[in-house]
Amino acid sequence: MSEVVAAHADEHHEPYTSTGIPTKKVLMWAFLGSDCMFFGTLISTHLIYRKISATVNGKYLDIEKIFDIELTSFSTFILLASSLFMALAVSAIHKGNLTSTRWMLFGTIIFGAIFLACQVYEFTHFAYAPGHELTLSTYQGEAHVFGSTFYVLTGTHGTHVAIGVFWLLGWLAYSFTGKMSTADAMDIECCGLYWHFVDIVWIIIFPVVYLMEYAF
Amino acid sequence: MATESVKYVSPETKSKTLLDIFRRPDQHATGIVDWLTTIDHKKIGLLYGLVALCSLIFGGIQALLIRSQLWGPNMEILSQREYNQMFTMHGTIMVFLVIMPLSAAFFNFIMPLQIGARDVAFPRMNALSLWCFVAGAIILNMSWFFTGGAPAIGWFAYSPLTDTGFEEVTRDMGPDFWVFGIQVLGLASLLASFNFIATIINMRAPGMTLMRMPVFCWMTLVVSFLIILAFPAITIALVELMFDRNYGTNFYDFLEGGKPHLWQHLFWIFGHPEVYILILPAMGIVSEVIPTFSRKPLFGYGLVIFSGAIIGFMGFAVWSHHMFTTGMGIVATSAFSMLTMLIAIPTGVKIFNWIGTMWGGKIRFDTPMLFALGFITMFMVGGFTGIMHSSVPVDMQQQDTYFVVAHFHYVLIGGALFGLFCGFYFWLPKMTGKMLNEKMGKVVFTLMFIGFNTTFFPMHYLGMIGQPRRTHSYNAGHGFEQWNQIATIGAFILGTGILIGVIQFMRSFRDKSLKPAGKNPWDARSLEWTLSSPVKEYNFARTPIIKARDQAWENNYGPRDLHSEKEPLDHHGVHMPDHSWYPLFTAIGFLVLVIGMLFHSSVGAEGEIIRNYTVAIIGGIIAITGMIMWSLEGPGGYHLFPEEDDE
Amino acid sequence: MIRILRLLQNIPAFLGLMVLPWLLGSCSNINHKQSTLDPKGIVAQNQYDIFMLSIWITIFLFCAVGGCLLFVLWKYRVKGEDDAKEIPPQTHGNPKIETSLILFSSLILVILAIPTLQGIVLFNRVPDPNDTEMLKKLKLERSAVEDAITVNVTGKRFFWVFEYPEYGIVTANELVFPASKAVRLNLRTTDVIHSFWLPKLAGKMDLMPGQENFIWFVADQEKLLFQTDKEGHKTPATIAEAMPAVHDGSLREAVFKDRSFFDEFDPVGGLFYGQCAEFCGNSHAYMQFRAMAQTDADFDEWVHRFQSLQAKEKPEQYNSEKAYKAGDTVLLKDSSLGEKAHREWQAAVDVDKGQAPEVGNEAWKKKNQDDYEMGRNHFQTSLCTQCHAVNSTGLGAIGPNLTLFGLRTSLAAGWMQNDRKNLTEWLRDSDKIKFGNLMWNHEVVKNYQPTEEEKDKGVVQHPVRELKNDPKKIEQLVTYLLGQN
Repeated sequence: MSEVVAAHADEHHEPYTSTGIPTKKVLMWAFLGSDCMFFGTLISTHLIYRKISATVNGKYLDIEKIFDIELTSFSTFILLASSLFMALAVSAIHKGNLTSTRWMLFGTIIFGAIFLACQVYEFTHFAYAPGHELTLSTYQGEAHVFGSTFYVLTGTHGTHVAIGVFWLLGWLAYSFTGKMSTADAMDIECCGLYWHFVDIVWIIIFPVVYLMEYAF
Repeated sequence: MATESVKYVSPETKSKTLLDIFRRPDQHATGIVDWLTTIDHKKIGLLYGLVALCSLIFGGIQALLIRSQLWGPNMEILSQREYNQMFTMHGTIMVFLVIMPLSAAFFNFIMPLQIGARDVAFPRMNALSLWCFVAGAIILNMSWFFTGGAPAIGWFAYSPLTDTGFEEVTRDMGPDFWVFGIQVLGLASLLASFNFIATIINMRAPGMTLMRMPVFCWMTLVVSFLIILAFPAITIALVELMFDRNYGTNFYDFLEGGKPHLWQHLFWIFGHPEVYILILPAMGIVSEVIPTFSRKPLFGYGLVIFSGAIIGFMGFAVWSHHMFTTGMGIVATSAFSMLTMLIAIPTGVKIFNWIGTMWGGKIRFDTPMLFALGFITMFMVGGFTGIMHSSVPVDMQQQDTYFVVAHFHYVLIGGALFGLFCGFYFWLPKMTGKMLNEKMGKVVFTLMFIGFNTTFFPMHYLGMIGQPRRTHSYNAGHGFEQWNQIATIGAFILGTGILIGVIQFMRSFRDKSLKPAGKNPWDARSLEWTLSSPVKEYNFARTPIIKARDQAWENNYGPRDLHSEKEPLDHHGVHMPDHSWYPLFTAIGFLVLVIGMLFHSSVGAEGEIIRNYTVAIIGGIIAITGMIMWSLEGPGGYHLFPEEDDE
Repeated sequence: MIRILRLLQNIPAFLGLMVLPWLLGSCSNINHKQSTLDPKGIVAQNQYDIFMLSIWITIFLFCAVGGCLLFVLWKYRVKGEDDAKEIPPQTHGNPKIETSLILFSSLILVILAIPTLQGIVLFNRVPDPNDTEMLKKLKLERSAVEDAITVNVTGKRFFWVFEYPEYGIVTANELVFPASKAVRLNLRTTDVIHSFWLPKLAGKMDLMPGQENFIWFVADQEKLLFQTDKEGHKTPATIAEAMPAVHDGSLREAVFKDRSFFDEFDPVGGLFYGQCAEFCGNSHAYMQFRAMAQTDADFDEWVHRFQSLQAKEKPEQYNSEKAYKAGDTVLLKDSSLGEKAHREWQAAVDVDKGQAPEVGNEAWKKKNQDDYEMGRNHFQTSLCTQCHAVNSTGLGAIGPNLTLFGLRTSLAAGWMQNDRKNLTEWLRDSDKIKFGNLMWNHEVVKNYQPTEEEKDKGVVQHPVRELKNDPKKIEQLVTYLLGQN
């Protein structure tokens, strides 16, 4: 993502853009728009399938007994909190406060990692819960479409978080090279955009995939 | 490239590289290295065009084999499976490896010139999309050589035919190659589209407001938005299919509660916008050509753009008209039927406006104009049969017959391909600096026009008397023979026309006997025609300041206050970014990753599945390394100092 | 609207779109076997009417727009070199013209939209018998709708199963239906997607896995009453000529009499052709079927024959403790046919206890020729019954039901004429004729493990793949199968 606007990017000038918005940000927004459709497709697949799957082949899948809503609520809170750190990191780099930026980035990474750890725990726990296995596929014995859509949807989200964590790690490493300056604010802001987006997607996934199983 | 007026200045940033062979090539790169590492939008455009034209020949040969097989009843030129592979690959290749990249070639080459930019917004990402596209093409065509051969599932690959439970060759790998190939091609299209969107939104020259942009750029913008919103649906559908095939999930396995309907919906939510992704660029090209050869501005410019955007928008609301016979129920069927009829209106608007443009003009019949007129008439036929299909009771008979085959070929050859050929005849002088042979162009047009109609018009009738599509053979006694024979003859005429055309395009780069084109051979209207032919590597020596919609025309004929101005020459010169190996490197990483995924599983001695991800992981590492190195190397670059009028 | 439709019916309708073929003068018939331009049922007629309406609308538009285009091209073409240099007035558009053209095209679409919506309702629902107005409009008898029969259609790779749930009978590939009644079709599939397309009676509807779709049709009896000569010219015919009975073989006879299987026109008006229209795999092209219209009496008789064959147990073993009436059939071992083979015997007169059937016993007659009996024995011992059923014998859930197979006109799902030569060829190597067919490629066949006894006999694979080496056996099977009439 550190592609630089070539045609007008003369290091001696502020790059000219027609709209005044930095081009990288336009790119990021376009990407996020596209990503919305990715998650939209996955979430609608899940919604279409969640009721069919519960009783496939006469086997009833008791989702409530499989889900661990306390843990997921906790990890949701953690992910939301990480967004705060991200916002603070962006604000800090705009002000040129490198130490603060570094700490805030670190906080975001740690919280992202906690979220990922929760998800890993969740996946293994669900897949092997005795008597209530939620399996991904027929290779693991009885399989439910619910398992397929659940793992692929939350797994895709988890992959997004993981990519975000690695990206932030990159910035953290970069902050120790001493080259980081307010000139990088734009790039970190794009990273922040991505992070907030991933967060927002989770805010949709959490009620639609988890809470709804308790309500309807 | 460096001419006398261009002063060489040593690169400002010295790029650090791992190996000496991967030393970053600068502006002195020549030959194969130049083409492999180029990040110039014009060269990338030409490479897109080259690959696409080769694929066109390849897909065309498949089409001719299909037509030969249908020459008479019970022919045995191809076996059932070979025939099914042919039409699957023909469809996939023509859509993903011919029409889309040909459009991308024009987007790349022409769009930045039309908006007054020196390149696209992210030149190296542009190169990455090119190489991803090539990687996707390689993956798709590799399928011929492995278990089961090419996929035999049709280009829309309806589940559950793709389910491993119904494969007709044990461990058939064809669909896997198809799944991964389309995913990589989708990645390429997505990257390119992000780039075009950013470019059009942000890189326009001063004064080039959105409503002064040429229609072609508008269509680029609309198509790019369609791609970024439509491709996710197919990508997810493919991911789900990949999981079904490789990991035993149940997305489309109806025995476990999955729904084959879901595949169709996801496919067509992508597939219908895809139709507009294919046709809108051609409409954009025609909207440039017709005003030029009528010497009049486009009639109802605003309406043409608005209708293009509406078509794009509504394209997302009509996907289910491909599924009228799947039993969606009265309400859904009626709703999609009505919406489909509505989409005919903005399409009709475009045709009215093209005719309106010609009205009162001075019409010249040069080859580009002939192709544009061919486009209008053929697209009209395709559009009208489209209206017929929008009426569900009619579609109940025509669905999956040769009538439909005729319909979409009228749209995609008579429409898209004629439009793209029109673009070649129009813009090749700008690309090569030489005029094409006009007589030859007219021969190509005549052959294509006659061949095309001879091939596809009888197919309407064949469909009506009951020949279903995708059947490798038919019995005598259905009355199909003579019309199929006419169609086959036509196909060979069409093939000859296309082949001559492609050879003509390719030769024009080398042929020294052709007339030089000069800046504006057609007396055309948009900004790219103010530049020399071929275009200099920096496009514009001085950034133009745009004053009017048809800037080249206004400069020649308009009042003085509408003449474009130029920003003063910058004493820093024009900054040009260096070449880069990393887009290619990253794409190779993706290729290795996909090959690793394709061959990751094998069956052990006791029938258990053994998974080995080594190659895939190596590929992933190559790709990630490429991206890291890419971000570290920076744009690099050098400065060129063109003279005042050196553009 | 309706008036326009009526008007259109009276015009030789195909003329419209087929101007070009007309000029070429090589096509004068449109009543081909699968022609949608020759509707014989109410649903298909409705689809055809809307199609013709759309044709006329689009021809009108094409002529208007195309004519306008030609006019513009002619009028405003560059005339000479001086003219080329002239600059025409640079007009940018005319909102009034543009808006009115948009409104005009919307209006035209409304003309098409109304019958479309009506048509959607029509093919999705059999009209309510109490809706007399609707029935009158469609020229339908109340009884046609009220006594509609139901057929469950199951698509398999690559053939069709037709089950009549009301009568408890199952047949394959040839759908027999009463011409006077509506037929409801419930469409299902057990493997991939297929599409049921019967062009002259109804449109098509897909057979979706995991879902049941619906389509219906009713034949228009008046349109069936004709005969067609070899050139395709129609002449009026009686009911018996147009709809020969299936159950006594007269339809088979009429179709085969002085016509080749590959002739373009059948002499019988009540015979319809259909095909799978959704790509379903290797031999998709060979997945065809036929539908045969019958008079009520003939249909009932056909049903009756089927019921009597499929409902009762197969002929019982001879029981020496039992007396038999004339006409009773029993099974008894007959070593002259081979080890463990059985023969059917029919009592010629009333038979007392203990009078075992055997050669020389006048009271019992051999019911069939030796070849037939041998064929039946092969059919039962060669695992055919694992997939097929004949009468009440066999499981019959995987392959086509072969009851009354000898009455069928076609073989291999409509692809070949059902005669000795073709059936022999088919049994010899069905995979060559129809690549990927289930008879050759079903899991059970592919992975067949012969028993020890079979291995001794030299059988190493499934008997159907062994048949190639045994022409005699094929011949006997053919005799048996074609004897099912």
